Amino acid sequence: MANPAIPMPAFLRRADPAVLIAFACILVLLLIGSIYSPGFLTAKYLLQQLKVASFLGIIATGTMIIILLGHIDLSVPWAMTMGAMMGCAAAALGPVGSALAVPFGILCGMAIGLVNGLGVAYLRIPSMIVTLASNAVTQGLMVVYTGGYAPQDAATPAMRFLATGETIPGLPNAALIWAVIGTLAILGLRRSVFGRAVFGIGNSERAAYMSGVGTRRIVMLAFVVSGGLSAFAGTLLAGYASKASQSMGDTYLLPAIAAVVLGGTSILGGRGSYVGTIAGVILVTLLQSILSVMQLPEAGRQIIHGLVIIVMLLLYGRTPAAR
Amino acid sequence: MESHAPLFRMEGVSKSYGGTRALERADLTLRAGSIHALLGENGAGKSTLIKVMTGVVAPDEGVMTLAGRAVSFASPAAANEAEVVCVFQELSLIPELSVADNIVVSNPPTRFGMIDRKAQRLLAEEALARAGASDIHPRALVRDLPLSRRQMVEIAKALARKPRILILDEATSALTASDVDKVFRMLKGLRDEGLGLLYISHRMNEIKELADDCTVFRGGRKIASYPAGSKSDAEVVQMMIGREVSSVYPAKHRPEVAPAPTPAAAPRLELRGLSWADRLHDISFDLHAGEIVGLGGLDGQGQNELLLSLFGVLRGVEGQILVDGKPVALSGPARARETFPGIALIPEDRKTEGLMLPMSVRDNLSFAALDLLSHGGVVDAPEESAAVQRMIELLAIKTSSPDVAVGALSGGNQQKVVIAKWLLRGPRIILLNDPTRGIDIGTKQEIYRLLRRLADEGAAILFYSTDYAELIGCCDRVEVVYDGRIRRELVGEEITEHNLIAAALNIVPAAEGDARGGH
Repeated sequence: MANPAIPMPAFLRRADPAVLIAFACILVLLLIGSIYSPGFLTAKYLLQQLKVASFLGIIATGTMIIILLGHIDLSVPWAMTMGAMMGCAAAALGPVGSALAVPFGILCGMAIGLVNGLGVAYLRIPSMIVTLASNAVTQGLMVVYTGGYAPQDAATPAMRFLATGETIPGLPNAALIWAVIGTLAILGLRRSVFGRAVFGIGNSERAAYMSGVGTRRIVMLAFVVSGGLSAFAGTLLAGYASKASQSMGDTYLLPAIAAVVLGGTSILGGRGSYVGTIAGVILVTLLQSILSVMQLPEAGRQIIHGLVIIVMLLLYGRTPAAR
Repeated sequence: MESHAPLFRMEGVSKSYGGTRALERADLTLRAGSIHALLGENGAGKSTLIKVMTGVVAPDEGVMTLAGRAVSFASPAAANEAEVVCVFQELSLIPELSVADNIVVSNPPTRFGMIDRKAQRLLAEEALARAGASDIHPRALVRDLPLSRRQMVEIAKALARKPRILILDEATSALTASDVDKVFRMLKGLRDEGLGLLYISHRMNEIKELADDCTVFRGGRKIASYPAGSKSDAEVVQMMIGREVSSVYPAKHRPEVAPAPTPAAAPRLELRGLSWADRLHDISFDLHAGEIVGLGGLDGQGQNELLLSLFGVLRGVEGQILVDGKPVALSGPARARETFPGIALIPEDRKTEGLMLPMSVRDNLSFAALDLLSHGGVVDAPEESAAVQRMIELLAIKTSSPDVAVGALSGGNQQKVVIAKWLLRGPRIILLNDPTRGIDIGTKQEIYRLLRRLADEGAAILFYSTDYAELIGCCDRVEVVYDGRIRRELVGEEITEHNLIAAALNIVPAAEGDARGGH
């Protein structure tokens, strides 16, 4: 039974143990990796990991906002794919289309988010259902789109530049983009009215509504942001792989949710920090990387990946919300 | 009556949470066949004492004896096993299950390993009848019951465990007047059967009617035990709060001090023929600046719906709401709080509607006014801190820092946070839904004084309370609601317990002095 009379020590409130554990796990993984392969602890390899982590980090930013609200966004895979495909498709329309490819991709993802948001906030359908359905519908639309003929699926130079170029020598642009989005997320969650409302709704939507906060607008906005970020990551991933392909988003849904929850965000909403999500993203990326360095077969990698997430959630994912 | 050997005795029991000493060498003796009242402000240690008694928390030191034998309870189940049962203040029912399911939830009757539905229903019926709530159908879903009926189910659930010691922690705070009568009769019956009852309530008149013995706690220590009736109210209150109290209620408006608002001025809030579904019917009255108007009547007669409709929460409200003489369309709380000159609602349930319990005092205090404390969507941190600090000082909220989770504060301080978060907006129309339920008398007094001060500063206050004494003590005018209608308006001297109860029960006022109110 939670006892409301226990005051929480200040240092525990500041440093979430989950975040500390996540960073500790990162160190352990780096250690294991360096034992396994001498090339692991080199700047080149780690920067490469950072680039890979950036795609997941951008997606996890949106996922985190949704989870903070107490919802879930399962439309990530096809919001990503649609963003990538529509971006590439726009490029086929000539130089103007090519210039607007990335914004157009993001816009398509935001449209999926808008549908999700309308369903969750206004029609009061559980987010798990709405986003699963919109994911399936988007998949269908994309299959129809690519079915009849071979559409333009090559990434534009802009996509390639954003994903793999280096404005600051040595630092991949993707990482730079994640840094910008992450900074905005940290400030937004901590200091903006929107961020406060997200935490408020996650803790008690009723209390937030009764406080005069436009809860439906906030929820809808959050889904639009999540859809847009997924699509943005999709266009970057297309730039990274030089083309958009059908199953490109499939491997990002679980890692995104895992990264957020491993970073200490309560899966029930209302509690979490973006620093934790950064740790979670790096942790998940390193884990995947080590499993592939170990040259395990794909099936074994999936099993270990899933098991590690379950074990970590058992370790600290069940800490009750402070009340 | 002959003196009994004590049924239950607690000696030198202490309990600390972190650095906070919640209970300090507490003693308590409960006789069989008696009702023992525990008195004290919130945070006095009563709740901790009960938690120790019922095995919810383990004491740091001290001994407990039950019928002469030393006991220690490792869990609530162990306490139940020893026939020590508690009706908690916070409801413990599962809303999606039926009344019968809830009553026997810890130990359902089984047949061939499956729950025996028939035996279960009979058990539930018996327990409900014993609690005096046979009007509740055992198969009804708890979520469909109003708060007062749920509380009765809670009591029935405790009785179904056949207790030897029954603890009631604010168990009557949500009950209607007629239920309270039934519960009192039942409790007296249980006492005559030889049970030991521990009764906790902030309502002095209840304690006066029921208790045989009283024990006062303050700051985790026992202050005194005495036979009921041997101390005056003033003495008891002074023991509880440890200081002299001049008067529980602040002075009302006296015509020579503050003249009533001139009739020429439009009322701050005007209700014209408000109706909603079949819960509100043609409600009309005015609320002027500087006035505290009470909403009376039995629980669940539409008072809650009325307040919600004035805050824009309900859809499809018919009739007109005028603010300062101008009709307003309230589409939701977001609109209501921005409707000049600002409407605030202190909601019924502070834990689910008023606060985000895991969030900090600061986040909660500023939450309803972030639009005023931000520029371009970014919260102005210094401005926010200053506003939060101002409110903590204004309402004397007891918290070690604004960063403490609001759920860690005592009930009275939580309620202060709910009120403060709205005062931060400076609303001129303040709606309150039973704001003093389950909070200690010291905080109640502070809230009464605060309301009066706000009214004197020009706010218009609509105040629903289930406590008649509050309506009598605080309000300039009381609208008594019965079955979704205003049954009677009581002004000034007419606000008496007799008139309030008569109107609440829809009894035609008897010739009391003159028959002024009869129509």
